Amino acid sequence: MSKKELQRQERRSWGRIETNINELVSGVKENKFSSIARAISMVEDEDPLLRKDILRKIGAPTKKAHVVGITGPPGIGKSTLIGNLSSGMMTRGIRNAVLAIDASSPFTGGSLLGNRIRMQDKLRDSHVFMRSLANRGEKGGLSRSAIGAVRILEAAGNQEIIIETVGAGQADLDIMNLADTIVLVLAPGLGDEIQAIKAGIMEISHIFVINKMDREGAYFAMKDIEDIVSMDDHSDWKRPVVGTTSKDNESYNSLIEAILSHRKYLEMNNSLSVKRKFMEMETALEDEINENITSKLKKKLIEVQTSGNKLSNDKSDEDPFSVAEELLKNFLEYSVE
Amino acid sequence: MAAGKNQSSSKQRPPKILLAKPGIDGHDRGVLVLARAFRDAGMEVLYAGLLPTPEEVIDTAVNEDVDVIAMSLLNGAHLTVFKRVADLMKERGIDDIALVGGGTIPEEDKPALEALGITGNYGPGTPLSTIIEHVQKRAAEARAKKLGQD
Repeated sequence: MSKKELQRQERRSWGRIETNINELVSGVKENKFSSIARAISMVEDEDPLLRKDILRKIGAPTKKAHVVGITGPPGIGKSTLIGNLSSGMMTRGIRNAVLAIDASSPFTGGSLLGNRIRMQDKLRDSHVFMRSLANRGEKGGLSRSAIGAVRILEAAGNQEIIIETVGAGQADLDIMNLADTIVLVLAPGLGDEIQAIKAGIMEISHIFVINKMDREGAYFAMKDIEDIVSMDDHSDWKRPVVGTTSKDNESYNSLIEAILSHRKYLEMNNSLSVKRKFMEMETALEDEINENITSKLKKKLIEVQTSGNKLSNDKSDEDPFSVAEELLKNFLEYSVE
Repeated sequence: MAAGKNQSSSKQRPPKILLAKPGIDGHDRGVLVLARAFRDAGMEVLYAGLLPTPEEVIDTAVNEDVDVIAMSLLNGAHLTVFKRVADLMKERGIDDIALVGGGTIPEEDKPALEALGITGNYGPGTPLSTIIEHVQKRAAEARAKKLGQD
């Protein structure tokens, strides 16, 4: 059976979805929440064929969206801040959507998606689409499906897409590639914490927020960050430091201003969603490799293991690397022929 | 507690569950215990928060594209509120999300709930493993429906 036929057969098992996919895509483009939700589920399912199908049909966006990544240590108030930020943008007539990523358990694969509770009242009142995603053990705080989900939300006509990452610090760098603007949220009283994350996430952030400004030491915390930012010399973008508190809705205006002016800065430099584009292609390439090469090689390895057939220069007892090299070499030679 | 199976390596994503106490019922200790148990059984769990309306529960379920809405009430309003959720789902033509109930539900009310498609209806003292097993079964049915494999 040829590869095409096999694919077609596999696809047939998606029955209802396959017949509805066009309907789904037009629903997404009309910003119908139920269609968007189902489309995101489809890119979440780890079937690369399905992911390819839906994203291809969705195609290139008519208007580019600006992706804002909100990151910072756990418990700092990211979810509450996003609720206020998103509804504040809606009030200004800027249509936006929210993706919140939570951690999966490495032991059971289960996950408690708790971000929604903190923001849902605000989002519901402003009619914002919000979706929780479990990171399914992906490193770097970003779920793989987030890339596809962003494309879907972009196709739905959102101008801004706000992503909340898994509460993390130093190693949370993956979002750099997906988000156009990275907002790092900190709070007063984090002195040592700020030290700890200085090297990683601090360098890649474009906007700093001191949240919980009603707390003691808030202005010292702002001053600390401003000191660090004042030493920047590698970019034209002067990184703003803004203070917010959920006790004062007005306080979010300066954050919205900062985000919009960074968008303008990116647009002027023609760098809006350039990195995201690369990440999309990288993921697509990974999918192709997985589908066409890795899975076949693994099958071959199992074959060799179970059949007892030795490879030509079998050294599997002493050195697994030689086996791997041999398998890949055979594969590449075979596909050239 | 039922041991969870690591789903991250399998092809399908884990079952997604929305826990909700629709209507006026603020006693959520039990539902939080369930949230944890479901997570430990390898599901992706959402909690609708305190005092959502039936409409809000369904909106959340649709946007998150969950497989099961697990409702709990301790206030005796299940025949009204659970029914409202079931009716709204029917109104909106949603047939691929399963409804599961629980709380203080008298034996004689259960047939009426079952007739609405709300299954389980477990009371206090039910072993977690029984509840988990039932929810997993219903989640699998709903997922099959979503994929057109029913």
